[in-house]
This record gives sequence, C-alpha cells and structure tokens, in this order.
Amino acid sequence: MMFSHEIMQRFNFSLTYKQVKAFSPLLCSSFHLSAIYSQSRNYRRPGSSPERLPFWKYTNFSLKNTTETLKKNVNLVFKEIQDHLRGPGGKPLLENLLEQTTVMWEFRSPEDLQKWTVSSDMEIGGKSQAFLKLGTNNQTALFYGVLNSEAPRDGETTSSGYCTLRSKPPKGAFGRKLNYDWSNFNTLHLRIRGDGRPWMVNIQSETYFTLQWDDLYHYFLYTRGGPYWQDIKIPLSKFFMSSRGRVQDGQYALWPDKITTIGFTIADRADGPFQLEIDFIGLCNDKAHTEEFAYELYKNIPL
Amino acid sequence: MRTLRWLVSAQNLCASARWLSWAEPCKSHKPLVSLARMAHTSSTPAPPKDSNTPKAVTPFEEHFSTQQKDKASFVQVLDLFCGRDVRRRGHVEMIEAALKWMPEFGVEKDLEVYNKILDVFPKEVFVPKNFIQSMFNHYPRQQECAVKVLDQMESYGVCPDVNTCFLITQTFGKLSHPMKKYRRIMYWFPRFKYTNPYLIPAGIEADPVSLSKYCLERIADDRDARITVYQLPSTEQCDDGTIKEHTHLVGIQSQDQIALLEEHDRNYPVLVEGPFNLWLKKTCVNYYILRAEPSAKKKEKILDPERSLYYPIYLDLDLERDLGEDHTFDVDEVDEGPVYAMCMAGDEKLLAKWIQGLQETNPILGEVPVLFRLTSGPQELSLSVKQTDSSPQDSDEETTQGERLRMER
Repeated sequence: MMFSHEIMQRFNFSLTYKQVKAFSPLLCSSFHLSAIYSQSRNYRRPGSSPERLPFWKYTNFSLKNTTETLKKNVNLVFKEIQDHLRGPGGKPLLENLLEQTTVMWEFRSPEDLQKWTVSSDMEIGGKSQAFLKLGTNNQTALFYGVLNSEAPRDGETTSSGYCTLRSKPPKGAFGRKLNYDWSNFNTLHLRIRGDGRPWMVNIQSETYFTLQWDDLYHYFLYTRGGPYWQDIKIPLSKFFMSSRGRVQDGQYALWPDKITTIGFTIADRADGPFQLEIDFIGLCNDKAHTEEFAYELYKNIPL
Repeated sequence: MRTLRWLVSAQNLCASARWLSWAEPCKSHKPLVSLARMAHTSSTPAPPKDSNTPKAVTPFEEHFSTQQKDKASFVQVLDLFCGRDVRRRGHVEMIEAALKWMPEFGVEKDLEVYNKILDVFPKEVFVPKNFIQSMFNHYPRQQECAVKVLDQMESYGVCPDVNTCFLITQTFGKLSHPMKKYRRIMYWFPRFKYTNPYLIPAGIEADPVSLSKYCLERIADDRDARITVYQLPSTEQCDDGTIKEHTHLVGIQSQDQIALLEEHDRNYPVLVEGPFNLWLKKTCVNYYILRAEPSAKKKEKILDPERSLYYPIYLDLDLERDLGEDHTFDVDEVDEGPVYAMCMAGDEKLLAKWIQGLQETNPILGEVPVLFRLTSGPQELSLSVKQTDSSPQDSDEETTQGERLRMER
C-alpha cells in the first residue's frame, strides 16, 4: 500500500549527521538563523548512492572553531552530568512521575528553529520550495513555501511534490545519539494554524536492525484554516507503520520510549502556496484514551 | 505449458542450426538461414496483403490522440482494442498507455473506466493451474501491469468494488499479486475514509456564494456566528451599453466578536487584512479579516462581586492541585490582536462596502479609522523570494507588489 513516493523520506544517517553540523557551528551564518530554507540538501539522482565524505572533508579545523566546539561539548558533558544527578530526563523524579503534559518543541527564538530541518522535492529534482522562519511576534514557527508537483524530467521519477519539516535527532555531548522518552504520555498535542491543507505527521523511533531504518509512523493532520489557532490531539496509538512510503501489512504499535524525530509532510498534489504555523508541539496523557493500537495485529497476515 | 513447449522447440531449432554451422563453418550466412527455414514445419509467411484490417503494430499512443477527449471516446478506444483481436495481443502496452492518458481524458477518478481497463486482460489465461505456477511469479509482466492499474487507482483515491475483485479473480486467480494489492487497498481505504473532519460537499465550487458560506463557517468555527450576504453576483446593463459585473460579498460575525469590537480602544485603528489563502482540496479561495493590533495593556474585566449575593460571578478557591492533575501546557500565549469579522469577496474594491455593511451592527466603526492592509499574493512568500533572489532557482511564480496602504475616512 502506498501513499505516494513523495512522503518517502530518505533517512540516511551520514547525511543527517552532516545536517546536524555538530562539529561545524561556524557554517551556520546569521542568514540561516533568520530563515531556514530547503536548498540545504543537494540534488541527488535517483538510484545514486549518497556521497559519503569522510568527516575531515566537511569539518572546519580552524583553531577558533575547534576551541568553540570543544567548549560547547564540554559544557554539554557538564550539563548531562547535572541532569543525570537531578533525575531521569533532567527532571526531578516527582515531576517525572506525575507530569501529565509536557512541551517538546516551542518556537520562541531563532535557536529553536535550528532544531529543525526543511527539505523539499528539490533534492530529487522537483520544483517545490519550502522555508521556515519565526512567525507572528517571533513566537511561532512559520513553515511556508510553494508546492509544485511537476515531476522531474530525469526519465525515472514519475511523481513529485512534497515539502517536509523534520526535527533534528537529539544529540548529546560529542555527537552521541540520544532519544526522547514519551512513555509517560499517550497523545500528541499540537497547536497549529494551517490553511486548510492536509498534512502528515511522521514519527521516527530508534531502531536496531538495518531493515528497520526506513520505518516511519504516520498519521494525518487536517487543518481548518482561518485566523484562529487549532488544538489537535493525536493519540500515539493511531500512528501506523510504513517503510519507504509503503504502509506495511504487518503493523506494530509505536514504542514511545525511544523517539528520535518528528516531521510534517505536505504532499497533497495541490500546486500552490502552503503554510503551517506551529505554536508548540507537546504531549499529554489522555486518561480517557485506553486504546493500545488502532489497527489489527495479525499473527499470520491474511493476504 | 504452451510457453514451455515453444521454448523447447526454439531451443531445438537453435541447437540444430548451431550444429549445422559447426559442420559447415566456411559457408556463407545465407544457406544457414535457408537451412534453418527448412527446420520449420510451417511454410514461410507471405508478405502482408493490403486489406482493410490493419495488421501492422501501431503504437498505442496514437489511438488516444483523438480530438475529443472525454469518457466516451476513452471507452471507445478500449472497446476498439478489445474487439480487434481475440487474443488481445499487446494488451500490456495498451493498458500502460491508457493509464498514462487517463488524466488528460478526465477519467482518472472514474471507477467504471478502471474496471473497463482491467477488463482488457484476456480471461483465465494467467490463472495458475498448479502449485508450482502459483509458487513462482506466473506471467509477471501481466501481474505487474494489473498492480500498476490498482496503484493508480489508489493514488487517485478510487476505492475498488466487487466488479474489480471479480475481474482480478477471473484474470489472475485468487493467489496473485493484483489480488493481494486489492485486499490491501480494501483494508486501508475504509479505515481512513472518515478521518478528515472537514469534509467538502461535492460540487460546491460552482456557486461562489454557497462556497463562501461554507468556507466562512469552517474558518469561524463558531455556531453562533451569523452569515450576511452583502452582495449577490449579478450583471448590470449600463446606459452606455457596457455590462458591469458585480461579484459576491459574504461576511461572518458572531455576537462575541461584536462585543469585542465594542470594547476596542477608539484611539487605535482597526485593520482590514488579506487576502489569506484557504485550500479546499485543490481550489484555493481568499478571505479577508477585520482585526486589531494586539494592545499593550490588557483591560482587566472587573466583575462586580455583589451583582448577585447568592450566586457569585467568580470563585477564587485555592484548591490544592497536584502536579498529576495539571493538564495545562506550560507555554506563553501568542500575542495576537482580536479578530472582529471575516469576509470573502470577489473583488477587493468591495471591502469598503463590507465595512459599511458592518457599521449597521457595529456603530463603533464610524468612529475609529479603518486601515486597509492588503497585499497581492501571499505575504510571506513575497518576502522570501526577495531573499533568495541570488539563488539559481528560478522564482517566477510570484511577482511582488508593495503593500498598498489606504486610509479611509
């Protein structure tokens, strides 16, 4: 089962790592701070392997940069130790046990925008454009652009037209992989303002096997449009699994204890401008929601 | 089985030919061919006669390049193909060409046409007859083609029906890839059929007034909001013979918004902003809003606690609330001005008329200045294109025009 190839996100870890730019903070100029745009990832022909540069090719080894990076990472180490002493997840134990809501991402400063990556079909040769910047009164994130579903003329790609906003995977000191633990909560809570277009929420969780690297969990996000904010609650049990853009026959519930990224994709084939304003992305514990997984968990798939 | 037999005979033929060539290596090419010909049991085919029935292989794209592009002509092409040959030779190429031409004929969302396409496959030929055939990919090219048809149905959101199932069973049998695909679609499609809370009535795009009513009700999200149609679309014959067209003007305002506007500080102007986009599937409509800038000082509403001694207006109880009972989010409110009214108009010039109409229910609009802050095209986009002008991407979609500010009164 397929939605479309557009929503297929290429999770390539070497590239993601390149995006994080953990060792090259100087590359982020002030322009990047004001608006993140989708040309950050280069065009790659379908079927061609991603360029695997060794890290010394794209790292700035100047003295200033090295000292800055070292300072940042050592500070991070100290912060991690402090967080560890305070309690699980950097919160006091009581708070960790009792809290019913939490705000995962909010957009109040340009630094908050740096936690996100924008990509569009430009990397497969399409013509969509997407940008991310701070919205009204610098208190929200505005993800906007133009969707263009004209397929690139490379003789292979048959469809195009997607734009994606995706959070960067959390990193610890010296580039260690971290992940979020959402096991206290069962519902995703978003305060957004869209323009009537349907979106897709993608959640990626930490996996072990190579086979699962492309696994993503999706659900739909329908926006009302108009000048008012919209509170949307999506239970985590509703998310269904797909791999490389194809919904899988064998479904498994999302394990909320090792979440790496969340993303928003638009690919509704309606050419034209789009925009999505996000106030915050949070999690809550909906006591009334007891469903564990919304889809059948067949032992033997009757197909 | 038939294919296998052909394969064996072809192999025998090749083997005999090679043996011949080994035996007489110095002979030229021509006698070899004639010898190979002799191995054939049937006589050599005669050159095609000029008759009315076209025997030459014509590319199927030509069939679809008719002048009239509608459902009837599309079905006619398929019928022509089916009636030409019992064996339906070249049906895979035909179906692939048909799939490509569907959007151009406007039948890409028509289930009947998809069933018609699946009907092109010859029946009962591709059904596996024993377990070995069903274990391996039996007639893979044909199965792939049928999966392609189902894939296109899926991507256009066409849910297959019983006829589709019947056709697939008849063509490929129950244990085949198209059947698997069909079952997958039938599992997932009904599951997400009613997930969208904002269903758009079919055919609403035709009437601008009902479209505006639907859109305004949707974005206002308030059952108490009242819709006013200020102007209906009409045409007027002027004295000098020119025809003047009037477009629609529909507004919405709720009682809460009227009360909010009444409290507006008269020293500050109210703003008419727009046009903003609202998407209904693939159509984009514009709306305008009447709002105010967020005021620095927020008026605290002082309620008279002695208005009713028995039922106090507000209770200030200090309930000991645990963290486990706190279901609110710890975020700052976004500072935004209040929205007083919304409207949809066919023409920007009608906005002044809208404000005039609003004055009947909101007399305050006669006292405060109204500032029109209208932009052509999406506001955010025009800014972004300026920034990325240096980039090699061509940005010819939007032409930017400066903000037009106009003071009324």
